[in-house]
Amino acid sequence: MAKVIALYNIKGGVGKTSAAVNLAWIAADEGARVLLWDLDPQGAASYLLRIKPKVRGGGSKLVRGKSDPAALLKGSDHERLDLLPADFSYRNMDLALDATKRPTRGLSRVLEPLSEDYDYVFLDCPPAISLSSESIFAAADVLLVPLIPTPLSLRTFDRLREFVARDVPKPRPQILAFFSMCDGRRSLHRRVIEEHAATDGVLAAAIPAASDVERMALQRRALAQFAARGRAGRAYGALWTELRGRLDG
Amino acid sequence: MDVHRTQLLLPDGVSAAATADRLAELVAVVTQRAHAVDRTFWDTFDGRLHAAGLALAESGSRLALLDAATYDERAAVDRARGGPRRLLAGDLPAGELRERLAPIIEMRALAPVARVRSRLLPVNVLDDEGKIVVRLQAEEPSVRSGDGKRALRPRLNVIGVRGYDADFERTVLLLTGELGLEPATRPVHHDAVEAAGGVAGGVSSKLRVTLAPDERADRAAVTILRRLLEIVEANLPGTLADVDSEYLHDLRVAVRRSRALQRELRGVFAPEPLRVFRDGFRELQALTGPTRDLDVQLLEFGDLASSLPAGAVADVVPLRRLLEQRLVVERQAMVRGLSSERTRALLDGWSAFLDVLVASPQDERPDAARPVAEIAGERIGKVYKRMVGMGRAIDDDSPHEALHDLRKKGKELRYLLEFFASLYPAEVVKPMIATLKGLQDVLGRFQDREVQVDALRALGDDIVAVEGGAAALMAMGVLVQRLGAEQDEARAQFGERFERFAAKPQRRLVAQTFG
Repeated sequence: MAKVIALYNIKGGVGKTSAAVNLAWIAADEGARVLLWDLDPQGAASYLLRIKPKVRGGGSKLVRGKSDPAALLKGSDHERLDLLPADFSYRNMDLALDATKRPTRGLSRVLEPLSEDYDYVFLDCPPAISLSSESIFAAADVLLVPLIPTPLSLRTFDRLREFVARDVPKPRPQILAFFSMCDGRRSLHRRVIEEHAATDGVLAAAIPAASDVERMALQRRALAQFAARGRAGRAYGALWTELRGRLDG
Repeated sequence: MDVHRTQLLLPDGVSAAATADRLAELVAVVTQRAHAVDRTFWDTFDGRLHAAGLALAESGSRLALLDAATYDERAAVDRARGGPRRLLAGDLPAGELRERLAPIIEMRALAPVARVRSRLLPVNVLDDEGKIVVRLQAEEPSVRSGDGKRALRPRLNVIGVRGYDADFERTVLLLTGELGLEPATRPVHHDAVEAAGGVAGGVSSKLRVTLAPDERADRAAVTILRRLLEIVEANLPGTLADVDSEYLHDLRVAVRRSRALQRELRGVFAPEPLRVFRDGFRELQALTGPTRDLDVQLLEFGDLASSLPAGAVADVVPLRRLLEQRLVVERQAMVRGLSSERTRALLDGWSAFLDVLVASPQDERPDAARPVAEIAGERIGKVYKRMVGMGRAIDDDSPHEALHDLRKKGKELRYLLEFFASLYPAEVVKPMIATLKGLQDVLGRFQDREVQVDALRALGDDIVAVEGGAAALMAMGVLVQRLGAEQDEARAQFGERFERFAAKPQRRLVAQTFG
């Protein structure tokens, strides 16, 4: 049974896609069979992997069980990493889910037949709390939340945890955060990281705001393919090792 | 979820690099650094993985079960490098690989059949986004055999990428059309096994001979006996080296069949040399008997022990140890005998005898020149009739020996049908073998249970003398009781199985076919 890790934050531009692509690639490099589902209609993860953001039949047929998800998969440039691509129709995912009998089961229904073929499934989620978020909570074993190291982000993270604990039915996903886009020159970032990294629910590994990460979009490759030994490349490696430890433990 | 794969052979004299260059002129490709991979392929002596469409490849510390045609991985385990060169199913760690292999190889051992070194040049075909849509691997394989390294025909492995089926098909068309590559009809390890002097499908111990009905009986006898001698010789090294218990089994079956044919077609041989060889083969059978009996007892031990109540399973451990100790002693004696000059002289002498049989004088060989179908028909008809008579005489009060004798006759008929099957229509032979097999299964079970009970009883005195012997003896008592009940069950099934074997339509068919 695959472990499902959802890269999730209600805010955009916090490094979800970079984390999803890099972590998925590193896991595949280690020998795991990995699936990445690009749920964001903007299709950034699909773009990085050079795969067209198009799903035959669109998101609606998929979550209604009318498409065979296995037939929609695309192999990436890594032999063990497959992608379920983004589709522009995912912007209407809420409507599509709402039209199903059990809206919160929509994503799980897609993943179940694929579960035996993979060790890890990464979900690159669109921002916002909505019906599709609830479906993500139901499908995921872990919500992995990238946080900009600011007090406001921490507050939002706490709110998310409260929401899940209060409003999401069991079994609830484990919620873990990591600091993303960290700028060592900014004292606020340094202080927040010092105080909160490796504490309750926040992982120790922190991803720097490095130009390597920005270059991913130019190169259209994962960091492991062109800058594995750089600061950001190593940070994603450490993040995966730490996360895998939590998943296995 | 497997991806498309195919293997193409490079044209003679064309290197992997030249193929990659040529391809680059036609489509966008990116070539990666070449590297070498060493793989050792394993199979059983009789090629069971080959027959199941599988391959077992060891590369580095990884032992992987593959689809033989596509090399898609089915299961794998890590294994210490330089580990034993012989593996029984029980030697593998518990897990999927063992679960898949065990029912296929059963009691047979896996051993290396070919060591292949491949130089691989990865070439990836890209689409207009620069994404890999087909993976190619130009492979230059060579096999290591006793006398060094031999190059095998280079090939190109074409591996699809999920979701890019059209690109796969387009690339294969390009390679076979523009570049003149042809589909490989078999995987690289089959080439390797044959280049190393082996047989890709393994060594069969099946009789499989084709005779002509009007062929001289002595010539037919030589055809069958030569094949049986081949089987004996093929299984002798594995028997001596104790690779697995099946070598000895197949060797003994071939010796028993040889003895049966010597008896059935005795009129094609001169009496005196035949007597000498029959004595020799009888000795060979006797020499290998005790080891085989112990092999069987140990092979069946697990099943037998698992039929005990849970608390008593551990009690029979001393019994197993005792059997293993005896096997060591008996095997040593057998190996001495089989490696002796006497055995070599017997087999060489028999081979030389078969070489000249047809040309030797016929005055003491009355059946030599008769058409084989005539003698075969007579013998099959006669033995069948005799079995029908013997079976009819058996009732609830008949002694065990009556069933044992019928089983022996049944074996004789089985051998005759195997030897001469090619002379008769399959629609006569097949149902006859089927009903005979049904009968023999019951008779076999009836006798085996008795033999097992006798074997357990014979061990009774010795087992009490070892540590834990008293508990073992009590557990053996339970086993004896169970085996006795199974023997009664087999006997109860006899009547129905015999009726099928001796049914009127079958009797009529036998009379019509075999006279």
